[in-house]
Formats: sequence, C-alpha cells, structure tokens
Amino acid sequence: MLQSFFVWMQGLPFSAWMLEETWASPIIQCAHLVALVGFAGAVLVVDMRLLGRGLIKTPLNQLARELDRWMIWSFVALFVTGAPQVLSTALKQYYSPFFWWKMQIIVIGLLFNFTIRRRVALAEEGTLGHWPKVVGFLSIGIWTSVSVYARLIGLLS
Amino acid sequence: MRSLFEWVDALPSSIALRESLNAYPTMLTIHVVSMCLFAGLIAYWDMRLIGFTLKKVPVSNIPTRLFPWALTGYGINLITGALLLYSQPMRYYGNFYFWAKMALMLVAGINMFWFHYATYKSVQAWDQGREIPLNARLAGVVSLVLWAAVVVTGRMMAYSGLMPGWWNNLNIGA
Ligand code: HEM
Ligand code: HEM
Repeated sequence: MLQSFFVWMQGLPFSAWMLEETWASPIIQCAHLVALVGFAGAVLVVDMRLLGRGLIKTPLNQLARELDRWMIWSFVALFVTGAPQVLSTALKQYYSPFFWWKMQIIVIGLLFNFTIRRRVALAEEGTLGHWPKVVGFLSIGIWTSVSVYARLIGLLS
Repeated sequence: MRSLFEWVDALPSSIALRESLNAYPTMLTIHVVSMCLFAGLIAYWDMRLIGFTLKKVPVSNIPTRLFPWALTGYGINLITGALLLYSQPMRYYGNFYFWAKMALMLVAGINMFWFHYATYKSVQAWDQGREIPLNARLAGVVSLVLWAAVVVTGRMMAYSGLMPGWWNNLNIGA
C-alpha cells in the first residue's frame, strides 16, 4: 500500500523532470539547507531562552510569539523544498530507515511544539518550575536528531 | 598551494581519515548541525539589524548573549570543515565551489570586523530604537546574503560536475 504510493511518486513526470534537469536537484537541496538555517535560528533562540540562556532580558512569551511565525514559515519552506526531493527519489527514501525516522521525529516534533512547547513558552514566566528547561532541551534534541537522520539518508542509504 | 594540498594528501593521517568508513559521514553531519547553531543565530542577528524581526530586543543584547553560542557553533564548524578538507585535499583543490566558499567566508569576515569596529561603536544611540542606521542595516543585508551563499557553495561542493565552464578551462584540478 505504502510501497505502491512511493512507486507511484517515483513514476510521476515531475520526478522524471527533476532527475533529468541538471540543476533542479542541487538548487532544491541548497534551498532546503538555507530554509534549515532559518528554522534552526527561530527554534534555537526560543529554546535557549527556555533553558535560561540567550536573550534573558526579553520576556520569553514575547520572543516566542515573535519567532513562532518564523518557525512556521521556515518549516513551510523546508516542506516545499523537501517534498520534491521525496518525489524524485521516492524509492531511495522508501528503503532508507533514516528517512522514516526523520519523518516520525518531525511528526513528534510538530505535535510537541503545538501542544506543549508553545504553551510553556507563552505561559507566565517562573510559574512552571523546571519544566521550561526540560521542554527546551527536548526541542533541541528533537530537531537535532531530525537533521542528523536527514543527513544520513544521503550518506548511508 | 598545489604542493601544500598534495603534501597533505600523502600524509598518513589524511589517508587514514580518507579510508575510514565513518569519518566522512560523522564529520559532515557535525558540520551541518554546527552550521545550524552558527548560521541560525547569525541570521537572526542580521535580520534584527535589518529590522525584519526581534525589534523589541535591544541590539546590544544579541552580541553579548547570543554570540558566545554562535561562536561555539562556528568553532565546531571550522574544525569539522578543516578535517573534511584535510581528509580529501585533492578532491577539493580543483573544486570551484570550495574556493568560492572560502572567498565568501573571507568577505563575510571582513564585513563583520568592519561593522564591529566602525558602525557598532555608536550602538548606544540606536540600541533601543527602531531606527537602525543605514550602515548597520546594510551590514546586515550583506552578512545575510554572504552566509546564505556560503551555505549554497558548501552544498554545491558535492557537485564537481556542475562547475562553471571558464573554471573547467583553467584545468586547476588536473
Ligand atoms: C516535511 C518536511 C520535510 C521533507 C519532506 C524533507 C525531505 C528531505 C529530503 C527528501 C532530503 C534529501 C535526503 C537525501 O536523499 O539525501 C532532505 C534533506 C535534509 N533535510 Fe529535510 N525534509 C523536511 C524537513 C526537514 C526538517 C524539519 C529538517 C531539520 C530540522 C530537515 C533537515 C534536512 C537536512 C539537514 C538534510 C540534508 C541536507 C543535505 O545536505 O542535502 N528537513 N530532506
Ligand atoms: C574553514 C571553514 C570551512 C571548511 C574548510 C569547510 C569545508 C567543507 C567541506 C570539505 C565540505 C564537504 C563537501 C563535500 O564533500 O560535499 C563542506 C560542506 C558544507 N559546508 Fe563547510 N567548511 C567550512 C565552513 C563552513 C561554514 C562557515 C558554513 C556555513 C555557514 C559551511 C557550510 C557547509 C555546507 C552547507 C556544506 C554541505 C553539507 C551537506 O552536504 O549537507 N561550511 N564544508
């Protein structure tokens, strides 16, 4: 079922075009990395603040509210530049364990962000004890492992 | 320059790194993750200067509170980058994107020092305000563009078949 979906993606004209057009894949890959930098910064500034480091003179909820859209829009850019690569290399991705780990952790990361992290970052500061630190630590861990697994798709699959 | 690269290429430690199965993936992965720490924070500093975001954060807070972290990322980035280069010098010697990346980093560095020792001196006057001097905004734009170009040339190094024709005609790698 899932396999036939990936076979279908691989067979799309768009996938063939991506593979034939010399510059298509490199440009998309570069854009994915530039988007990643934007995403990483938006996530890190808030996570470091959750850990009690970084911009401690600015209220946490103010930083979180401001950087929330940067995080969301950079994620959109990651998706837009990631999806074509999934299409054009669908079978490689299907058979790579790293790809599946990456996708699972992305889902966990998004759920974690919109249920817990955002709520903790927007809460009245000093009312949650050590929880903000735990949340900041987990968030950095989640997105770092996404990046590591992502890089390993290309290197080890 | 070429003989330096060839000399490194023949060193036993370079050969050992090159022949190790894990060294390249490990170094490249750490290179990308440390890049996120460095370039991610610098990008938001640049965008603060330009006036895109974080407008309520006093400008001078960012160098004191975020630069130590950004520099840590940069340190790891430099070390892993240098190791990658050390392990396959002759792979990169003729690579256009490698030299372009080094040149771009150099210009980004000059921009940073210039900004720091000239424009930034007057930061007290515009620390809180929303009106950032034009020079500072320009420094932000230049930095943002240059670091993005470093990321792009970094990724393009893997495409040795996609170098500009005039570069290939120089026959530097041969
Ligand atoms: C739903 C969104 C995303 C999709 C569909 C996607 C898809 C992909 C694909 C297909 C690749 C190429 C892998 C290969 O074959 O080498 C890739 C590379 C990569 N992705 Fe993503 N990605 C997404 C989001 C993210 C996120 C959120 C992060 C990090 C937080 C990330 C980090 C990376 C990294 C570091 C690479 C390796 C870059 C390189 O050197 O080429 N991606 N992504
Ligand atoms: C002296 C400093 C540096 C050296 C010697 C260096 C060297 C290298 C080398 C040898 C590679 C591997 C290319 C390949 O085999 O495909 C690489 C990749 C890369 N570098 Fe650097 N680098 C340095 C600094 C930086 C900085 C400051 C950045 C970004 C701000 C950066 C971004 C990248 C990127 C995005 C890649 C591609 C990673 C990937 O394929 O996923 N590098 N670098």
